[in-house]
Amino acid sequence: MDLMDLHDVAAIVRGAVEDAKVGVVPIGAGTHREVANPVADGCDEIRIPNGIVSYDPNDMTITAFAGTPIAELNRVLCGHRQEVSLDPRNDAATLGGVLACGLSGIRRLRLGPIRDTVLEVRLIDGRGTLVKGGGPVVKNVTGYDLPRLVVGSFGTLGVILQATLRCRPAPAQQQWFCSSETPSYLRRKLFRPSAVLWDGTSTSVLLEGYSDDIASESKSADLDGMLSSPPLFPNGANRGRISVDPRRLAALTQRLGGLDGVRFVAEFGVGTVHIAADEDLAFVAARAAAVAEGGWMLRECGGPPGFGGFGSNIANPALSERVRLAFDPLGKLSPGRMVDV
Amino acid sequence: MCFPRSASDAAAAVRAARVHGVPYVARGSGTGLAGGATPLDDALVIVTTQMNRVLEVDIDERIAIVEPGVLNLDLSRHTRPQGLHYAPDPSSQQACSIGGNVGTNAGGPHCLSSGVTSAHVLMVEAVLPTGDIAELGSLAPDTPGYDLRGAFVGSEGTMGICTKVAVRLMPNPPLVRTMLLDFMSVEAAGATVSAMIAAGVVPAALEMMDAEITRAVEDFVGAGYPRDAAAVLLCEIDGLIEGVDYQVSEVRRIAQSHGARSVRIAQTEAERQLLWKGRKSAFGAIARIAPDYYLHDAVVPRTKLVQVLESVYAIARAEQLTMMNVFHAGDGNLHPLIVFDSREPGIWERVHEAGSRILHTCIDAGGVLSGEHGVGMEKRDLMPLQFSSDDLAAQGRLVDAFDPDGLANPRKVLPHGWRCGEVQQRGGTIPDDTWI
Amino acid sequence: MNILGLDDDELISCVGCGLCLPHCPTYRVTGLEIASPRGRIAAMRAVETGVAPIDAPFVDAMQECVQCRGCEAACPSGVPFGHLMEDTRAALELNAASRPTALAARVRRGLEWIGYRVVLPNHRVLIALSWLLLVAQRLHLVPKRFGPQRFGPPLLTRSSLMTKLDVSSGALGDAWLFTGCVMDAWQRPTHLAALQVLQATGLRVAVPGRGGDCCGALHEHAGRRAEAQHLARKVMQSMPGDAPIVVDSAGCGAALKQYGRLLGTEAATDFSRRVFDFSEFVVQRGVPATRATGRTVVVQDPCHLRHVQKSHMAVRSLLSDGYELVDTDDDGLCCGAGGAYSVLQPDLSREIAMRKSAALRAAGADRPGVLVCSANPGCAMQLTQAGFSVQHPAELLRDALKEGPR
Repeated sequence: MDLMDLHDVAAIVRGAVEDAKVGVVPIGAGTHREVANPVADGCDEIRIPNGIVSYDPNDMTITAFAGTPIAELNRVLCGHRQEVSLDPRNDAATLGGVLACGLSGIRRLRLGPIRDTVLEVRLIDGRGTLVKGGGPVVKNVTGYDLPRLVVGSFGTLGVILQATLRCRPAPAQQQWFCSSETPSYLRRKLFRPSAVLWDGTSTSVLLEGYSDDIASESKSADLDGMLSSPPLFPNGANRGRISVDPRRLAALTQRLGGLDGVRFVAEFGVGTVHIAADEDLAFVAARAAAVAEGGWMLRECGGPPGFGGFGSNIANPALSERVRLAFDPLGKLSPGRMVDV
Repeated sequence: MCFPRSASDAAAAVRAARVHGVPYVARGSGTGLAGGATPLDDALVIVTTQMNRVLEVDIDERIAIVEPGVLNLDLSRHTRPQGLHYAPDPSSQQACSIGGNVGTNAGGPHCLSSGVTSAHVLMVEAVLPTGDIAELGSLAPDTPGYDLRGAFVGSEGTMGICTKVAVRLMPNPPLVRTMLLDFMSVEAAGATVSAMIAAGVVPAALEMMDAEITRAVEDFVGAGYPRDAAAVLLCEIDGLIEGVDYQVSEVRRIAQSHGARSVRIAQTEAERQLLWKGRKSAFGAIARIAPDYYLHDAVVPRTKLVQVLESVYAIARAEQLTMMNVFHAGDGNLHPLIVFDSREPGIWERVHEAGSRILHTCIDAGGVLSGEHGVGMEKRDLMPLQFSSDDLAAQGRLVDAFDPDGLANPRKVLPHGWRCGEVQQRGGTIPDDTWI
Repeated sequence: MNILGLDDDELISCVGCGLCLPHCPTYRVTGLEIASPRGRIAAMRAVETGVAPIDAPFVDAMQECVQCRGCEAACPSGVPFGHLMEDTRAALELNAASRPTALAARVRRGLEWIGYRVVLPNHRVLIALSWLLLVAQRLHLVPKRFGPQRFGPPLLTRSSLMTKLDVSSGALGDAWLFTGCVMDAWQRPTHLAALQVLQATGLRVAVPGRGGDCCGALHEHAGRRAEAQHLARKVMQSMPGDAPIVVDSAGCGAALKQYGRLLGTEAATDFSRRVFDFSEFVVQRGVPATRATGRTVVVQDPCHLRHVQKSHMAVRSLLSDGYELVDTDDDGLCCGAGGAYSVLQPDLSREIAMRKSAALRAAGADRPGVLVCSANPGCAMQLTQAGFSVQHPAELLRDALKEGPR
């Protein structure tokens, strides 16, 4: 397949932005479509092409169009025993969607948030201008940090066309374990585990690295049960993601454990809790529990009518609004997505 | 100049400056290398050295909350008994402050594996240029809204003044191996770095020093750096035993296949500390060679290291300048260092010419202007090398959103003309045919 | 322009990297650039080249330096800050413009003159005044602000002042023990301990003859160079011959080791080569057999031992068999005593001391039974006043000798 030239893509998106009556919303695989708030009615959908623009395994950087599915990135990187730390729940998701929604993966404890993976972005802002932020090398402080700002902006600062990511050597081995010990105990015992999860009844731990190291670590923390597959994420009609000060995570999980119909998996050491509930009432209660512990819950899908995407004020609203206007003065980019109605 | 002791002091200073239309600059320890904290236009200097308390350390969640004047190394020292450290370690870490690190999004040798300052800052409390005190980011992993924390870190004081920082601490690794590799040519050392990265070995830190700087450093620390090497690599591997052993053997194999003369592994913690002291003192040791230096900070793809290094030395030869290189090789973060005596007539012109050519070379190789020192005043006017006018305009609008009055550390980072109201404020240089 | 007469090469050798900042006690407690080595050098440059005048802020900035020389040890470029500061102070001392004019300042200067010119160089005067002070302390006649709690002179004791060193002065021996001024008046038991240890190693020890009353370190630090040179010459005359000179005060030892530079003569350089710190000397000779006392000692490195003489490790070799040694985690930051500094800059000195106290406490020095060891009389007084149990390495070693002192 011939890759489109970035400037041709830019021209198409620019045209779409300029012509839009209400606004534009980039659409990839649609896996994150319901996250946060729906865009305003009448927005034009734009699709960004997929394809890897360049991959230099010896430099461990990869550049791809925003429409590239993560599965495709993983396939290419796998051939060189490398990876990028994006880990979406569904790897049909596209690069642009994952970055725009900013949902970090399950290995955040060790790999950090996905915003730290992005080296350079190219986007079309609300004026239809092609803007580049960051730089294509693994370390860069030249100019303002647009890449981090754009990650998690839900498309309201620009339509991401292309991004350059930092790759890492893929771990030689990965192994999930289950344990009856508490997450806090395991975090103290283990040196940089990739994930320590707690679902209210048991702890699961992901260790990555060399097999002897995994063996000795698991032994030192009495991790007896190996899991043949990763633990399942809670699923249901209503799904959300709580973000809370990790010091209050234990208290929060206690609250959540007391709620009927709420299933959860908490990432210890991070402060993320994945929530699912079949009943609207339970879903609302889970958000209330998050707020009671000083956190908030992002809606991933579902929720009763009027259930806001954030359920909480945007932090620093005045400054955030000025930032948004700096990129999108006419409000054409995914309007409504970041504002709770 | 003022010395706030609290966020409200700093906010009062910013508000007062705003009322009087006076620009202001935040300053920490003054170890920056790009002039970011240098006051221009008679700016009010807001010095954060007296806000130097470690407010809180949470051992279990590995979080520290500190005031901006806390020195980088003091924080790691403070948490050492708990087996934790603050990972970003600029060479000036014993002197530089966390506030300054936030301002420049500082790097350091160990950022190769653990990421630069931004990856370790969870929350910044800042006095915004509007005079309000705001928390950007949070201890919770995500904040509803934009990552304003991400924008602020590395904004070099142009988006406000940081008054409190929550940082992530890292557990000290159970095992650390520090290797000193000794080469007969800079090219061989550079090729070793590229080959290591290509082989998937990402050490905790991977540093290179060339011959002359190695000798100067050895004169200071006496760590046993080889005085006759053309280049040395300081390579640190940490983690768990099998991973460390495997990577150490890979490094040894790759180095030897590229002609390394010797591979020395530090046998004691004291020996390791001394090797690092040498590396981290390199810039300060320059006066042993000449009284002045000009230090660059470009990054190039790691596959281009050898090629760019060759060009850099060729430029120095052409300008008849003494050039040294001491840098974060694993990141491709070059620090070409031109040493000279400013008392020599006409030398500055040659130094600047060489510097400009070096930066052009790095950009042409697919690199960037600054990897960790920041733009400040020094590289401000070179920004168009890396960014289009559309890119710069977008950055200008972003800063304007934080600083509508343009009083927060003005005339830094962005070249003239990309900030709103800049033309009116500075006056004087408006061409006749301009519409205002 | 060469207003201060500083060495140009020394002055430009600072590249301004700032690595000295955390090692400077006054910067640590004030956070002010002008109270840092880098700031002081910048100020010296400005004055030297005529860019800035010699004004009160400049003089204050120079006077506020403790001259601990921690910055020198930290400087990768090896800037000789101590020289620059001593030369600057010497230039200021000669410069009439820098003299204060206010009455209080003139009174203070008069008192300083008496101290430097009359008391320190004349040991009998110092001893006599010490007895007077002891009596005054007993009768509670010393105002609180000059009392031991406020970093004034220590509480003197009769037994200390009565301690006799059982050697004849000026007689030739195998080694000289330099006794000095204040230390001999206020801490003579330390000399006795040093003497006993030296004798235990089989040496015949002599103390200086006439004129060896004061090493002149305080004078040199204050910029009173001519007086320092005069005293140095007298000290050299008081210890003739080739015998090594053992000094149990780190400050005096550092001064004696730098007579070569101070006087610029070959004789002075030769003399300086004969000078050893007590611990350094004993370690070189071989530490006499000691027994494990089971006690814990937190080691405080006097600046002039660590940064100037660079022989602080010897203290550890000296005591490691007899004691459990603990280091402070502060890179040997100054305690703020600084010779006369605690008297001349009491506020800064106190703040610096608080920082040192915190570092010592962090090392466990405030636990019951734990001792602090300091090889310098000034530091010892400062730390004693801060509430620690301080002993000199000589005393600690003497108490741990297998075969007690003869």
